[in-house]
Amino acid sequence: MRYGFVIDHRRCIGCHACTVACKEENQVPLGAFRTWVKYVERGTFPHTRRYFSVLRCNHCDNAPCVTICPTVALYRRPDGVVDFDGERCIGCKSCMQACPYDALYIDPNTQTAAKCNYCAHRLEVGLEPACVIVCPEEAIIAGDLDAPSSRIARLVAREKVEVRKPEQGTRPKVYYVGADSSGLTPALQAPATSYLWGQRPAAEVDLVQLVASAAARERGTETALSRPVYDAPHLTRPWGGKVSAYLWTKSIAAGALVMAALDRLMSLTRGDALFDTAAPMVALVFLAITMALLVLDLKRPARFHYVLLKSNYRSWLVWGAWILLAFGVVAALWLATGRSPDAGAWHRALLWPALLTGFAAAGYSAFLFGQAEGRDFWQSPLLLPHLMVAALLAGAAALLIVGTAMGASESALLGMGGLLAVSLILHAVLLFAELGVTHANADVALAARLITRGGYRARFWGGAVLVGIAVPLVAILLLPGALVLGSVLALAGLWMYEDVWVKAGQSIPLS
Amino acid sequence: MTTPPLPEPLHPVAREMSERDGGLAAYPPVARWDDWEDYDAVAWPRKVKRRYSLIPTICFNCEAACGLLAYVDHETLAIKKFEGNPLHPGSRGRNCAKGPATLNQVQDPERILYPLRRVGKRGEGQWERVTWDAVLDDIAGRIRRALVEGRQKEIMYHLGRPGHELVYLQRVFHAWGIDGHNSHTNVCSASARAGYAFWHGMDRPSPDHANARFILLLSSHLETGHYFNPHAQRIIEAKMRGARVAVIDSRLSNTASMADFWLSPWPGTEAAILLAMARVLVTERLYDRGFVEKWVNWDEYLREERPDLPVTFDAFHTALEELYAAYTPEFAERESGVPAATIVEVARAIGGAGGALATHIWRNTAAGNLGGWQVARALELLVVLMGAVSTPGGTAPSAWNKAIPAPPMMPPPGKVWSELLMPKEYPLAFFEMSFLLPHFLREGRGKLAMYFTRVYNPVWTNPDGMSWIEMLTDEAKVERHACLTPVWSETAWFADYVLPMGHASERHDLMSQETHAARWIGFRQPVLRVALERRGRTFDLTWQAHEAAGLGQVWEEDEFWIELSWRIDPDGALGIRKYFESPYRPGEKLRIEEQYRWIFENSVPGLPEAARAENLTPLAYMRKYGAFLVEDHVYRTHEQPETGGVVVDGVARRGFPTPSRKLEFFSKTLKDWKWPEHAVPAYVRSHVHWSLIDRARNEMVLLPTFRLPTLIHTRSGNAKWLYEISHTNPLWLHPEDARRLGVATGDLLKVATAIGHFVDKVWVTESIRPGVVACSHHLGRWRLAETAGGERWSTALVDLTHEAGGRWRMRQLHGVRPFESADPDSARVWWDDAGVHQNLTFPVQPDPVSGQHCWHQKVTVARAGAEDRYGDIVVDTEKSFEVYRQWLALARPAPGPGNLRRPLWLPRAFKPDASAYRLP
Repeated sequence: MRYGFVIDHRRCIGCHACTVACKEENQVPLGAFRTWVKYVERGTFPHTRRYFSVLRCNHCDNAPCVTICPTVALYRRPDGVVDFDGERCIGCKSCMQACPYDALYIDPNTQTAAKCNYCAHRLEVGLEPACVIVCPEEAIIAGDLDAPSSRIARLVAREKVEVRKPEQGTRPKVYYVGADSSGLTPALQAPATSYLWGQRPAAEVDLVQLVASAAARERGTETALSRPVYDAPHLTRPWGGKVSAYLWTKSIAAGALVMAALDRLMSLTRGDALFDTAAPMVALVFLAITMALLVLDLKRPARFHYVLLKSNYRSWLVWGAWILLAFGVVAALWLATGRSPDAGAWHRALLWPALLTGFAAAGYSAFLFGQAEGRDFWQSPLLLPHLMVAALLAGAAALLIVGTAMGASESALLGMGGLLAVSLILHAVLLFAELGVTHANADVALAARLITRGGYRARFWGGAVLVGIAVPLVAILLLPGALVLGSVLALAGLWMYEDVWVKAGQSIPLS
Repeated sequence: MTTPPLPEPLHPVAREMSERDGGLAAYPPVARWDDWEDYDAVAWPRKVKRRYSLIPTICFNCEAACGLLAYVDHETLAIKKFEGNPLHPGSRGRNCAKGPATLNQVQDPERILYPLRRVGKRGEGQWERVTWDAVLDDIAGRIRRALVEGRQKEIMYHLGRPGHELVYLQRVFHAWGIDGHNSHTNVCSASARAGYAFWHGMDRPSPDHANARFILLLSSHLETGHYFNPHAQRIIEAKMRGARVAVIDSRLSNTASMADFWLSPWPGTEAAILLAMARVLVTERLYDRGFVEKWVNWDEYLREERPDLPVTFDAFHTALEELYAAYTPEFAERESGVPAATIVEVARAIGGAGGALATHIWRNTAAGNLGGWQVARALELLVVLMGAVSTPGGTAPSAWNKAIPAPPMMPPPGKVWSELLMPKEYPLAFFEMSFLLPHFLREGRGKLAMYFTRVYNPVWTNPDGMSWIEMLTDEAKVERHACLTPVWSETAWFADYVLPMGHASERHDLMSQETHAARWIGFRQPVLRVALERRGRTFDLTWQAHEAAGLGQVWEEDEFWIELSWRIDPDGALGIRKYFESPYRPGEKLRIEEQYRWIFENSVPGLPEAARAENLTPLAYMRKYGAFLVEDHVYRTHEQPETGGVVVDGVARRGFPTPSRKLEFFSKTLKDWKWPEHAVPAYVRSHVHWSLIDRARNEMVLLPTFRLPTLIHTRSGNAKWLYEISHTNPLWLHPEDARRLGVATGDLLKVATAIGHFVDKVWVTESIRPGVVACSHHLGRWRLAETAGGERWSTALVDLTHEAGGRWRMRQLHGVRPFESADPDSARVWWDDAGVHQNLTFPVQPDPVSGQHCWHQKVTVARAGAEDRYGDIVVDTEKSFEVYRQWLALARPAPGPGNLRRPLWLPRAFKPDASAYRLP
């Protein structure tokens, strides 16, 4: 049994009854929508037409929100409905990044994620969803796609149907009959700062204007695109500065311990305090900051332990938590044994665990961002190596600063300097590879262009590239004595890049 | 099919789930409506059970009277939600967005719950709570004095939405012996009504969309209007079965967008298009000759207008060809801008539809243009030519698809004629010249001792609202003003009493609308009272039930009129009281349920039998089901045999309620009442015809009439879910005009009318004809005080200044803002736009025949200057009085034949006694 919807746009008149009936049935707060009607227009007078699209959760058979949700607050029921349980939700917003359809929002009453759940409470008593029964045109058809004689199954079999973003591989169960493809595909829509009878929230307008200049160049002339003339508001960019800061602090934490392990592996200094105690301390301090940022970014921070106690083992948020914990244990052991007479032996024993957990801590985010299926820009195969290089870069830079301050050995500092230079070059190569190569699709290309030529170009070229790569390289390679300056700038540049990367990835409209 | 194994970990609820067999139902079975149990949506997936009574009522957000089903929580007595009533024949369980939004109106944290009386001067905004007793005694005393002193004409009741209360109120006002019913009709549908009434004596169309083969709409019935939801259902039904749809509308409405043909004419040229289509039907002989020969007064036309021709139908065919010879498709294209080929294509499609031609016009161009009533007449000409009158898939006159059960004891009409409502200048108007009232009072035509406004909001809705403010603040002209309303409004601010009346679920009404080829009644009920009474509580009056359920002292109007009538005539000496006595308990005051009990027992054919079959009384049946289908498949009513009727095919038949008892292609009435040039369907060049607009001087025509799918005039201002969707009314401007004016979307334009200007922002769009600027009339609500006088979900706070003479200036101080209330959503209001109130800047423009306010405005459009702000309004009421005098001069006043004020046969709401029709 698989419940799904058919939206029959041969019948839909764009009246918004479904929107309001849903709000009434589910007491959806202002500013949030479980279902909404988008209008787009095409053509020039008098050959103009307005098309409606009823948009909502697709109850995907392969639902990315279910996969990424760390606490099984989102789940697919055996009848195909993707339901949610606000009492398990920690408000991490990862589902909003995973969903390619803009279906989720954070309920301001509970600070937990919510979306269309097929009126599961009505299903329980044998009733159709509220949007279905209100529709004047019977344009929304609910039912079991697996029952061959059901109305919905017959429609799907006999009519020409389409789904939103089939390329995402989510296997959506909302089928459209007679819809205009451009209404279902944001890449085919021109930017709009207001609508024919509604405003857009200021945050949306800012984002549209940010993306617009890059979009115009990427997507060609606006006349080829549909013109959105009505849409419901959506939260823009659920992940903000705390998430980009977390990537950065995690790079430092992971990198610092990796540096100590590499020192041991290559027998570089044979027991410099920089690596025996300072490095694990840096790792632990920045790990603590990382964890704090993660918890504080939750809409329900007091529920952070649900990640460990109500785990969804398929979520990289859960794996990430365990990896960070394991990394913390290794770093703590490294530090605890750092002053013991047997430090050398201990650290040789901890070497591989440190490298393993360090790189895991640095790199797991690639899989987490990979599970954020809604953000195509983040789906880069280069992300994993890039995060590891970022950890090397951040670890080396951090230890250079600390080491200089504590008077570490020349060889230690030289080693770190060399590693920093190498990782800066690798960082530059990966960064340009990510942004410069042919992109997977137009949305990825647009996000990349937003960074290189759009609203983020100053921060990217001036901050990430000039301040963060070019100047540090010059400082390290050509200006002896400028190692600390170079390290500070490299760290600053890395932060700017990660911030821009996180923001740009969320700047492309999902619906 | 087996469910594929799920790879992800299961939520406990999902683990425990068993599969549900069989299909899903749309509604709980009726047998369980008394005690329905389901699960709380917010607590889900925790299973928290709730128990409800499901009580049917009728939506009150537009005139369609769709069914609602209220879920009343057994524990909290709160209404949890409104769904559709699946047993309602018109709406069939489905609703538009405004149906469920009723919940917002009921739960509005700022609604008025107790009667208020003004303190200080009228319009100053100071209020005190008073008792209903004090209100009723004061008003009854004033009315009694007026009646006793022969000042019957000084009592006026002005409403927006009558519904079936029409008969109810007719009882009240005829019992009082007054001619005091005033409506909104002349700012709405007067021209459409006139056009239809001159054809068939009934003033509305009732298209049978569901069975049509071709649907021609000059209204936007897939998104708004009478009767949006029921009609939209049936239009799409027909479309899915292969019917084609054409929409004539200068603006791309959602309806036009769904149509097979969108014809966007220059506003006001629609009749030229329609007559060109008629010409195609005639010259290509696509019309139904048999029907026209039998049912049209062609012989009268030939005798009166073409004495040169023999009285034969062949001669009439020739006469028709000659009459419309000038209306070539090319002429229509020159007038309208719509390609001739399209006009011919649509005409031939109409010709192919036979009698299954469903058409509708209600406001749109009829309400916009001088002579708009001839557009309705030209549209109906197509229906008549195709013989599509009252056929399956055709277009019937309204009254045949309506059930109007008689109440107990109908008083005879009064022998009074109010010149303030129906002045001599407009003998053919449909109906009361309501929007001219301020000018009539200014000219000294009378005064009002007691003026009621019911929900209706003339200060905001009518053109020239500043003149209304001037009138309402003049206590010599309007001595007492009581506003009967569930919500604050711009007009309520200028009242002496603000009296809270119930929303859709808080009152009784009997409704019937011509939604399709059937006749039905729907029963609006105060659902809290019904729920409490089902559990053994009893109440004398509905407001007591509301108070018991925690809803303050909200009255229902039915009871208000009974109570008021008893207090006007406490001893029965004026002959009023007897009409408000119980038919079951002689001499006792009528209880509201007795009124409806009597109607259901005596006036609804088939209802007592249907009730008996279920072991119910007729009243209990209606309380349970909320609707009753009196007759289905109503067709060809005019053919029914009727003694003394018109003889067709050798049988006396019912015919049409016109002087000829036939469809009047030729209206002798119009000829006799001084409009001989309009005696047949004709094309009148509008007051905004393109030849009068000089675009080089930035003149344009403003189309200010269109509605939005989610809003209803001024009664939905507290519906947060609707305003969240629609809250701004920018000026639609074609890119060509935008280039000429040098503006882009979001820029401000200053739009100057004959009496002032307003400032609004631009929406550049390909959905409007070049040269036309369009603005929805739904937005632009305002209030004068921060925390009172307007719904904060939808109003801007404004500063209103009366400068020298008639000069008024309004400026927005701030738009919509989040606010604290019992509803946490009020702090989450994310929009700040309230729109712009354009109607204030419109002078009155009464059509000299129909009396319709012609809404379209010739405007001068320019970029806003440095001193202009969004939402600015400037008006000079001296100028509006001048414009009024100019339009008044177009009128051709009574008397007509027989020294009459108005043709006796012509419809009028609450017709006075025939003796009152004669001028002294």
